[in-house]
Amino acid sequence: MFTTELFVQTLIAGVTIGVLYALMALGITFIYSIVKMINWAMGEFYMIGSYLQYMLVVSLLGPDLWYLAIPIAGLGVFILGAIVEPILIKPMFTRSIERKDDYATVVTIALLLLLRNLATGLGGPYQRTPGSDLPTVMLGPLPQSGARFAAFVFALVAIALFYLLLRKTWFGLALRAAAQSRVGVETAGVNILRLDQMAFGIGVALAGIAGALLAPVFLVFPTNGVVTTVKGFEIIVIGGLGSIPGALIAGVLLGVVESLGAAFISSPYQNVYGFLLVIAILLVRPTGLFGERGRLV
Amino acid sequence: MKGRSLAAGAIALLAMAGADAPAADKPVTIGLEIPLSPPGDPSAGQLIRRGGELAVEYVNNEMKGIIGGKPIALAIQDSQGRTEAGIAGYRRLVGEEQVIGVTGFFHSSVNIAVNEVAKELGVPTIATQTSAADVTAKHYDVAFRTHAIDPIRVQTFVDFFQKQNYKRISLVAETTDYGIGIAEETERQNDEKKLGLALQKITFDHSATDLTPQLLQVKAFKPDLVVNIGVGQPLDLMIDQAETIGLLPQTPMLLSYDAPVRPQYWQLHPKNGNGIYFIAYYSPRQKLSDLGEWFAKRYQEKFNEPPVYSSLNGFGDVMILAEAADQAKSTDPKAIIKALEAGTFKNWAASPVTFPRAPGVYWHNWSPPILILKYTEPGQDWRNATLVLEHVGTAP
Repeated sequence: MFTTELFVQTLIAGVTIGVLYALMALGITFIYSIVKMINWAMGEFYMIGSYLQYMLVVSLLGPDLWYLAIPIAGLGVFILGAIVEPILIKPMFTRSIERKDDYATVVTIALLLLLRNLATGLGGPYQRTPGSDLPTVMLGPLPQSGARFAAFVFALVAIALFYLLLRKTWFGLALRAAAQSRVGVETAGVNILRLDQMAFGIGVALAGIAGALLAPVFLVFPTNGVVTTVKGFEIIVIGGLGSIPGALIAGVLLGVVESLGAAFISSPYQNVYGFLLVIAILLVRPTGLFGERGRLV
Repeated sequence: MKGRSLAAGAIALLAMAGADAPAADKPVTIGLEIPLSPPGDPSAGQLIRRGGELAVEYVNNEMKGIIGGKPIALAIQDSQGRTEAGIAGYRRLVGEEQVIGVTGFFHSSVNIAVNEVAKELGVPTIATQTSAADVTAKHYDVAFRTHAIDPIRVQTFVDFFQKQNYKRISLVAETTDYGIGIAEETERQNDEKKLGLALQKITFDHSATDLTPQLLQVKAFKPDLVVNIGVGQPLDLMIDQAETIGLLPQTPMLLSYDAPVRPQYWQLHPKNGNGIYFIAYYSPRQKLSDLGEWFAKRYQEKFNEPPVYSSLNGFGDVMILAEAADQAKSTDPKAIIKALEAGTFKNWAASPVTFPRAPGVYWHNWSPPILILKYTEPGQDWRNATLVLEHVGTAP
């Protein structure tokens, strides 16, 4: 069935989910830019963020103060990331590991399994929700749940703050420099290993914030991060590894393609449309929309 | 030389005695293959497990064992609701645990895939809560079921549509054997019986989290009723997202299985769970067998809540396998299959259980009655939900 109203509603639904996808992907692309590794356990940090949000809202703050729980959940995940990084990731650079990429893949997949099983063991496999008292909001002709709209706005704010951090602060300058040349940053007197730790913490905190924001929308359970990881990797291929504007635009593009495809082509292939987009981008522009070809100096 | 032979004989005898002594007490193992982690429905898995564990308690403490006093034990595998994990689990149960039969199945896709392997390995399966036709319609000797099958479930839907005078129906189904099976059976009965229903069939990937595009299509169709054929997370997401876009509560929703009887239903849907219609297979007002009465009492004591169907049927199916071994006086899977086909068994329901070689999908099948209940106030105990319709179960 096709009507203009339905098309506009579906388009808006695609844009809102796309922004949330972008937030999920931002951490992956950021960590890759600085630490030069793919974190396969990113979805599990999303999951931990959602559990922290659930526990804070249900046991401590109550549903009215849900917004206070989000930075706390983000901070909690940041601290966890900052603890994990020196133990698992730092040896990539401090020990003579020949195949750094393989090492990173193995340790982050092991971490994924550990965190997922830990969540099942501690909290059980059940679905939970922190609930939300926010009223429904009209986005043009499309009604949106208050929680989802809040997640959309917070995601935009988080992405904007992150962008400002990178562009307007000395710390951001150091991070951008590290993304260009780790050796160059070291010669300028920056402690690159400390920078790695901070970058890993910030990257996983972004996933944690996404998990916290989406806890009342997509529920809380031990494997809720799987979607994050899958969509995240689709987005970084579409947008280009290491590009923040690329992640945002690719997220929106992915959300819109999936929504319109599910509504107007064939619903059961909703997840396939994203992969088709990935293949198309790889054929036309292998580095992604905003990615740059790597250079050897 | 003679002395050496005697010593060897004595050692052999001792070894045989040693091997025999524990064998008398060696429990008869029954396999339980249940979803204990997503993407399966872990809540259902836990409830079935509770039932199975109480069956072990009943056989070992009340019946004092089977086949002349042997205790029974459970070996449990997590199917995760995925066919590959289900098949691996079944192989482990048969190969490593030497189970006499495997039950507990909750996801049709898993059950159907496992039955293909069971056909080769020969250890029987009993479907606890899978309703896709192919679980029994393939007429495998090893495949048995004690659950509502698609044709009976859909006949219940149809009775409900007619009773409520619903003409435009949206079927929103996940792309699993369960979801597709129910949606296609509804279309088949609509055509075959010339019911004149306007059906909209929308299917979605079980792993999809955003169902807004599908539900917008449903809303545009302006249905009299939405049938939610999701299992686990999609079922809950569909309720929430349908409410968000204004489909619920204006358009009523029927859930295709008994998820709302679980305690977490009201935790997940405190505001939008009211007014929902749902399928159930058991009501506390039903008459139970003496086994069922024992179970209901013991379950309440142990878990401080009344039993639900998943637990009752998990209990019933482990009991049936134990009874079959007892009747066969053997733990040989072939003898157990024979006993299952020939015997009459007791589970939780008042009516006896048999597995006739009936035609079509009714092969080796016993079905409980199917009820449609409706919540009429927020936080309502499912035992007080309004009984809208009752459809007789079992084979015709």
